[in-house]
Amino acid sequence: MNMKKWSTIGLATSMALVAAGCGKATPTETTKPAASVAPTAAASAAPTAAAAKKLSGDFEIQYFVGGYGDKWWKAVIADFQAANPDLKIKESAGPKINEQMKPRWIAGNPPDFVYIDGPELFDRQLVTDGQLDDLTDWLKDAKNVDGEKIMDLLAQKPQEFDGKMYNIPFVMSAWGIFYDKALFKDKGWAEPKDFEDFLAVSEKIKGAGINPFIHTGKYPYYINGGVLYPAIVSANNNDYKLLQDMSTNNLEAWKNPAIIKGLNKIVQMRDKGYIDKASVQINHTDSQSLFLQHKDAFIPNGLWLPNEMAKDVPGGFDFGFLPSITQDKGGKVVANTSTSTFAIPKKAKNKDAAKAFMQFVFSKKQASQWAELSGAPSNVKGDISSSKAPNFVKDAAKFLSSPDTVVVPTVSFAADVDKAMQDATLALTIGTITPEQWVTRVTEVVAKQKK
Amino acid sequence: MKTNAKKLKRNLFIASFIIPTFLFFCVFTIYPVIQALQKSFYDWSGMSENSEFIGFDNFVEIFKDPIILRAIGNDYFLVVGKVIGIMILATFFAVALTRFKLRSAGFFRAIFFIPNVISVVVIGVLWNFIYNPQIGFLNAFLSLFTEKKVDITWLGFPQHTIWMLLPPTIWAGIGFYMILMIAAIVNIPASYYEAANIDGAGQWSQFRHITMPLIWEQIKVSVVNIVITTLNGSFVIVQLMTNGGQPDNTTQVMGSYLYRMAFQQYHFGYGAAIGVMILIVSLITTFILQRVMRQEAIEMS
Repeated sequence: MNMKKWSTIGLATSMALVAAGCGKATPTETTKPAASVAPTAAASAAPTAAAAKKLSGDFEIQYFVGGYGDKWWKAVIADFQAANPDLKIKESAGPKINEQMKPRWIAGNPPDFVYIDGPELFDRQLVTDGQLDDLTDWLKDAKNVDGEKIMDLLAQKPQEFDGKMYNIPFVMSAWGIFYDKALFKDKGWAEPKDFEDFLAVSEKIKGAGINPFIHTGKYPYYINGGVLYPAIVSANNNDYKLLQDMSTNNLEAWKNPAIIKGLNKIVQMRDKGYIDKASVQINHTDSQSLFLQHKDAFIPNGLWLPNEMAKDVPGGFDFGFLPSITQDKGGKVVANTSTSTFAIPKKAKNKDAAKAFMQFVFSKKQASQWAELSGAPSNVKGDISSSKAPNFVKDAAKFLSSPDTVVVPTVSFAADVDKAMQDATLALTIGTITPEQWVTRVTEVVAKQKK
Repeated sequence: MKTNAKKLKRNLFIASFIIPTFLFFCVFTIYPVIQALQKSFYDWSGMSENSEFIGFDNFVEIFKDPIILRAIGNDYFLVVGKVIGIMILATFFAVALTRFKLRSAGFFRAIFFIPNVISVVVIGVLWNFIYNPQIGFLNAFLSLFTEKKVDITWLGFPQHTIWMLLPPTIWAGIGFYMILMIAAIVNIPASYYEAANIDGAGQWSQFRHITMPLIWEQIKVSVVNIVITTLNGSFVIVQLMTNGGQPDNTTQVMGSYLYRMAFQQYHFGYGAAIGVMILIVSLITTFILQRVMRQEAIEMS
């Protein structure tokens, strides 16, 4: 081979490397110029539905950046941009984005695509206010970029509001109880399989001078999601329909004795002195820090916890995750899921691009990428055991796909009812009300909602 | 003719100052107040383009809402606590730093004023750390005097948590009012005190009969200011320290309840009505206070 040939090969290789580098680098500017991202192999190879119709114009995506970070968003938007070079994508993102975008929603100028997560953006309210596009008909036949039917891929189907679907769950997290496997191994404590086990191991933990259980009293929805709701489902013979009936303000459902039984589990934990007294006045970050410092052994939380606290996790800490601890002996594990959804605003200007993006993200490739980059399972069915997802995510995914687990579809309560439950549960944890008073208080708010 | 031209020139000069200020005031103060008043007559979620006119329903609901009653009670508790705490301490420090010719007076003035240059957010976070039951300064300090480690949950007792909000707010307010008092005290002619000394009046007598009456106007202004800023501004500290009224609404104030209803429970119209209530309560309180204190001033003179 002569020098000229070597030079040509070298130059071509360099160009390919540069191109590959560009493909990996996610541009950080808010608005991406169409041609700035080189197409990735996967994106360009996908026989996309979007590719059939050339997308152009502006396309704005609103996404909240919280515990899951934004690595996945940067990657998927770069891929979508590569597949649709004529589209001018604008990212409206950040931890305060819901608040910042609110005036635009009110003024009838929403983004084209929205990720519903974080504070100040509540799916039920968006539907009530007529802000979201009805996706029911579209979803019947919608296929993803690989030609698979989106509805068939979903582990959890979209929540229906009066029989209609407005938002599709993409993030499939679960509430549950975290503990440190390494600490338990070191101390010889067994992972609890039911409530009896939990009480027994908590006694040992207390004896060792560690608080058994901490939660964030400033945000009592953590203990509701991680302990109370699974406890109610367990007490209702593993039938989660009760929670759904409660969420639709069905007053009869609120008379079900399973609610009192569930609340009594918290009372037992409180009366035995297992709930850290500090819980009532601290926020989620403080409670999580105390848990990571081994001042407390169990904490109710969502699967985003390890990612959220990544910078503060001590060496050797091994996250263990249990979807529920309140089931009776021999009872099934109850996984109360927490989903974050994607939706298209009713007044979106580029609905074609929004739907194409929906088809693009609901693919096995993006789902797997989500698990790796965000540290949480997605709502797209698939085996992630061979992916690079963290172990606790794989554990959680195993629980969620096990026949011995009752998977509770995400339930969203009316904001007033949710707040009333939070206040009442906090009062219950500090002993200022009884379970019966909890029910009375919340039922009064539910009755008001029905009017 | 000459007089008229001069008058016109003078009026134009005055108008050039007043009109821009007035316009600015209308746009950024009057208009939002009118808008809040208008929204208070609507049922509106705060996210929707649509809203429904419901007349006085939001105000009727306010009078039936037990949390509002508690919030008003908490607001007044903070008002009274802050007025007493700040005025006593600020006056005490002002007198101590002016009447006794301390060499280190400048140092203490600076120290007491520091909390005023710190953001309320920082104050909230700082006091959250102080009160933290596991890693807080207060429990650690108290543990020095006990055999067993103190683990009091300072912000966790439903009936007493509101008391815990007083120290940070008083601590944060002393410096500013102390400076106002110092400014008033240094303006009192020294001859008054010299005459009192010659007559054999003691320090307490001088404070009671010279200092207090002559700084009374300053005290009046300060009290009114504390009342207004507390009724309108307790929200931040409540939001930061007890996450808007916890535990179980026992530290709820009108400002935090407004925020909760408007932004967390999607009743923006109701939140606006609470805002109007705050305005009315503030105006009535200020009016009553000025009447009461005016009578007091007459009695003192």
